Amino acid sequence: VLASVPSAILIGVHGTPISVEVHVSPGIPSFTVVGLPDASCREARDRVRAAMLSSGLQWPQRRVTVNLAPTGVRKSGAGLDLPIAVALLAADGQLRVEAVAGFAFIGELGLDGSIRGVPGVLPLVDAVRAARVVVPARCAREAALVRPDSVRAAPSLRSLVAIVRGEEGWPRLDLDPPGVAADAAGPDLSDVRGQALGRLAVEVAAAGGHHLLLVGPPGAGKTMLAERVPGLLPPLELKQAIEVTRIHSAAGVALPPGILIRRPPMRAPHHSASPVALIGGGSTLMRPGELSCAHHGVLFLDELGEFPSDVLDTLRQPLEEGHVLVCRARASVLFPARVLLVAAMNACPCGREGGPGSCRCRDAARFRYAARVSGPLLDRFDLRVMVDRPDVAELLAVEQTDRPMVESTEVVARRVAAARSLAAGRGMSCNAALPSDRLDEVAPLQPAARRLLETRLRQGRLSARGLHRVRRVARTLADLVGREGPLTLDDVCSALALRADVFGAEDGTR
Amino acid sequence: MSAGRGDQPEPADRPDGRDQPDRDDQPDGHDHGDAGDQSGVGGHPDRSDRADRAAPFAAALAALPGAGPVVLEQILRDWTPEDAWRRILDGRLARPRPPTGLVEEQPDFGLPGASRSRSGSGPYAVGASEAGPSWQQVARRVDPRAWWARHAAAGIGVTWAGRPDYPAALVDDPERPGVLFWRGDLGHLARPCVAVVGTRRATHDGRSVAFELGRDLAAAGICVVSGLALGIDGAAHAGALSVASCSSATGPAGIAASGVDVPYPRRHAGLWEQVVSSGVMLSETLPGRPPHAWRFPARNRIIAGLAALVVVVESHAGGGSLITADAAIARGIEVRVVPGPVHSSASAGSNQLLYDGPGPVRNAQDVLDALGIFNDSGATSPRPRTPPGSRQSHPGARMPPAPGPAGRQGRPDLGSRAASLGREATAVLDAVGWQPTLLSQVVDRTGLSVGAASQTLDTLEATGLVSREESWWVRSSDR
Repeated sequence: VLASVPSAILIGVHGTPISVEVHVSPGIPSFTVVGLPDASCREARDRVRAAMLSSGLQWPQRRVTVNLAPTGVRKSGAGLDLPIAVALLAADGQLRVEAVAGFAFIGELGLDGSIRGVPGVLPLVDAVRAARVVVPARCAREAALVRPDSVRAAPSLRSLVAIVRGEEGWPRLDLDPPGVAADAAGPDLSDVRGQALGRLAVEVAAAGGHHLLLVGPPGAGKTMLAERVPGLLPPLELKQAIEVTRIHSAAGVALPPGILIRRPPMRAPHHSASPVALIGGGSTLMRPGELSCAHHGVLFLDELGEFPSDVLDTLRQPLEEGHVLVCRARASVLFPARVLLVAAMNACPCGREGGPGSCRCRDAARFRYAARVSGPLLDRFDLRVMVDRPDVAELLAVEQTDRPMVESTEVVARRVAAARSLAAGRGMSCNAALPSDRLDEVAPLQPAARRLLETRLRQGRLSARGLHRVRRVARTLADLVGREGPLTLDDVCSALALRADVFGAEDGTR
Repeated sequence: MSAGRGDQPEPADRPDGRDQPDRDDQPDGHDHGDAGDQSGVGGHPDRSDRADRAAPFAAALAALPGAGPVVLEQILRDWTPEDAWRRILDGRLARPRPPTGLVEEQPDFGLPGASRSRSGSGPYAVGASEAGPSWQQVARRVDPRAWWARHAAAGIGVTWAGRPDYPAALVDDPERPGVLFWRGDLGHLARPCVAVVGTRRATHDGRSVAFELGRDLAAAGICVVSGLALGIDGAAHAGALSVASCSSATGPAGIAASGVDVPYPRRHAGLWEQVVSSGVMLSETLPGRPPHAWRFPARNRIIAGLAALVVVVESHAGGGSLITADAAIARGIEVRVVPGPVHSSASAGSNQLLYDGPGPVRNAQDVLDALGIFNDSGATSPRPRTPPGSRQSHPGARMPPAPGPAGRQGRPDLGSRAASLGREATAVLDAVGWQPTLLSQVVDRTGLSVGAASQTLDTLEATGLVSREESWWVRSSDR
């Protein structure tokens, strides 16, 4: 008459264990779900009924109460269909309660009794409190990432019942990734013609984790450069990979064939994105936003100037903290958000090509456009680079002739990895995270470099905060050539050159 | 008390000022005797005072609904301001049927009663009776002297055709402004005037050319006339003001489309006040009024009319400065153009103008040559618009303290500094060229490393061979 089955629901990117309790008693036939189910959860009743009838099972003509405990947490989604069905069968006596003991269940039911996949299986499986967990067959590989030994899968309710009754054995799980198809490497850096500065900028961004802003007219190759940044980043470590996979799983983003995301992800939301879509949140289901989906990877905001400024300003704090705490009346969720921000925009609405004077925009329009990117956000970009269309000759040059060999992603990625390991040797994930009180120890200056910075400071062309950022970037530049020790004039000069004066913003202050 | 400011020019500075009979009292033989009874006009024995007594009425005429430049000019051609005002009060002078297509500005005396009377006025083309209050109604409600006293106290003066301080160059202008409001010192307009005009969306090079023109012309005793707009205009004014402390320099004249006390564009508010304190601001728009769109081309005709020569520095195709050039050509005033790069859209209009006929100028010396002013020889003979004397001094002393333009002396070191540069610097200089160029382009063109290229650019900037605007680099002239 009473059965309880463990399962889990998703809150943010983490699972929360849930206990599905079903009580069957004599009385007028009814079916009630209590314990804060949302609409999709309450609909479980109709799916479960149809699935049971399709599977040759009996729908109890009695009074049925389903409780989802703990009752204080809002339940959402169809992943509780399967545990409700199993608990109901056990409570109704169609399955022995002891036979399902020690199992947790996750899965959505089709009307034909098939068990369908649900988003977030990875964090859900991680959360359930049971020795073994039954998941939909097509999510088995994902579930096996965290609990390889305790995962069981069944294709349908009918076969699950047969297995539990002992009439069949568990089907063998095929947990080997299919043909270890390396994740698509992405576009190669050698496709980029010219753009030595832009090329250096993406390399430094990848090596030091410095946020990058590319400014230039349409067709200058901003997007092309930005798309090549993830390829330069080192592959994810296992812990990071699972973390990223967990987020993507929770967000319902399609996972790669090998399930585990080994390459740093790149997310490029369109500029119509809402703050919630970018940061994460939602009314019932707290879903990770694009920012979190780009965790340990690249968040690329193309046409930065077209994003509403309030949307952009929501990014400021997460960029600094590496995570975002989304708070709603019912729940607060911490989403991880350690991203490399790469943004591209035109210098003005008309996308002027030839520099000052050739722009057709009204002055006011230009200021409005530039003002979309607030000073504080602009300041987050350690690297600000103006690019222009490559010269015609450069575009038409053939590989063998007068064009110097351009480096491929592979060559640059090797340098990036070396630079990152230098930073790791100092106990930092990357140079962008270098705290300012360690600058004198980690990024000391040669006399000539110090003099240049002093001049810039005195001219008012560099602020104190800008100074720190320039030193971090210069450290990365030195790391990239494998040079330890004090920063040279050349390092600092290049770092200053990579911090261009866009929108008349000397150093982030307008 | 004309302007209520310390710089009152007329009695002290101007030899032709007060001792001439006031012409506005002369024509038509109108009787001034009864004026005082009715409106407080006239009745004073002192003639120079009487001119100032007329000022409130001239200003008040300009504030009447529908009293545009043309109407004002016609009224003041026939009557003195007091006469005209008296006729309006009597109902003998009514609002003329206006030309179609103009949008009227509202009467604005800044009085509570007057502001309420605006409501009914619509487009100027509508008949006077439907368009709002008649002139008589408005005039009866206003005391021009009380109203004008506030503006006069703020240092605003007014002049009109027929007054001795009315700019001489405009007296015979086919479209002369009826009334001109001013702040500053009208005496600067007695110097030869050169208009420096151009686009608001100027290149760095265009602005620096305008700045140098303004600076060197002002230093040579020329009154630089421009519109105080963003870009070229403002740069020319800034150049002229940069030598304002020189005793020999002449202050610039700014011609505004808004009231002389309404800085527009607001970003040039500081520049505006400097022009007032060192030169003169002029406008035919009533004080306190923002600029109407049609005021800008109208303002341009004044710029052209005042100038002995108009220099167009940079103009986009169809730019407003071409209107100034057209107005100048229509008046037989010489126009010269600073040639710009063929590819630069900021020079498209000015280059077209250049192609159509007016000759080129490269610097202030070319302008002085075109005016027939021989600066170096000392045999200066500016166009004798004014009696010689007061403000003239030795041309040798007119050199600004800052280094003058190279072209003036035709210095032989043109490019010699560039020649002494190292190989890298030469390559960078070539890569920058005369068009705005980004660091990324310099790196691509030279093949230098980013650090080396930006270091070289910094060095070149320090020596003045290149200059930087935002992230763009451009070569400066080799001097």
